[in-house]
Amino acid sequence: MTECVRYAPMIGARPGELSDEETRAMSEHLAACEACQARLADEEATSGLVSDALMAEANRRDFSTFADGVLDRVEHRGVLSRLGRWARRHRAAAIASALAPAAVALALVVYFGAGSPSEQQAVVEVTAEGRGTMVLQTSDGPVVLIGNADSEGT
Amino acid sequence: MEADDLALVERARAGDREAFRALVVRYQRKVYAVALGIVKDRDLAWDVAQEAFVRVHAHLHEFKGDASFSTWVLRIGSHLAIDSVRKERTAAKQEIDEVRDADLAGSGEGILATELGRDPQQNLLRRELAGKMMEALAQLPEKHRTILVLREVEGLSYEELAERLGIHKGTVMSRLFHARKKMQGLLREYAGLEPDADAREEGKGGGEP
Repeated sequence: MTECVRYAPMIGARPGELSDEETRAMSEHLAACEACQARLADEEATSGLVSDALMAEANRRDFSTFADGVLDRVEHRGVLSRLGRWARRHRAAAIASALAPAAVALALVVYFGAGSPSEQQAVVEVTAEGRGTMVLQTSDGPVVLIGNADSEGT
Repeated sequence: MEADDLALVERARAGDREAFRALVVRYQRKVYAVALGIVKDRDLAWDVAQEAFVRVHAHLHEFKGDASFSTWVLRIGSHLAIDSVRKERTAAKQEIDEVRDADLAGSGEGILATELGRDPQQNLLRRELAGKMMEALAQLPEKHRTILVLREVEGLSYEELAERLGIHKGTVMSRLFHARKKMQGLLREYAGLEPDADAREEGKGGGEP
């Protein structure tokens, strides 16, 4: 194994990145090795090319909408986050809210499928964690009672 | 700039949208540049860069000022970029980091330096090579592309690279050696200098046991 195997990877180190011993050994090797001198020259000549190229690409691009896009995403995340927190705090109301439309639909199915209103006492009850949703048969027709989502203190 | 960043962060924390917008505008191009270097795709880089600022906004309350704001947002951006190409990394052939004698066999060392001359900032060839750099970066394997971008654009030290990538300092240095060797081989090819078939193969991720 040649010494270059050890020292070539050190080419490009910045001040302070090599120990004093490594720095000393590297200097001694460079003084005697033309191949590593050439590698160092290439490294210095191409230094900054990657950064220059990528920043040039960035500077060519139109960023006029970038910040607006970020703020829109922030706003959207905020809305989703607030909805998520509300749902976690008010599970019952969230579930009842989800079930209410289904309860209404079911009630209507029962009503229309139960024959003459005057002959039937159709009552459909759907409950979710203590909140009731009922369909009552009255002389004026079916009445759907849906429990209100109480967002306070639940 | 540093003190101004901190003042904007404080205002943004208090809900000042325009203060946060000012921070975004200040660093958007650099965050995009780092992301682009890693993910290669311009639209994905845009998306990653925007997401980086969204994450920053969500964690503004955690920013303590022990590192600069730019360091913080660049770190988040590069993490997101690396995560987005993780599939590419696992699918690619695993390359060896250590440097062996075979890696040092003569392949045109010094040619670029000679051609670029003693005044690289004004050299036409340098500008042409910079123009070809995106193409060259895209040909590098993901881990070489990433370490070059983190070193050259984000400016990370060996120690920071070791911590960021979860590798030893020796591996950082070896990986950078391979990345630069491949990059320089591709640049020599683009410049029409001493065609290097080995470097062309290495640049495409092949040719290594």
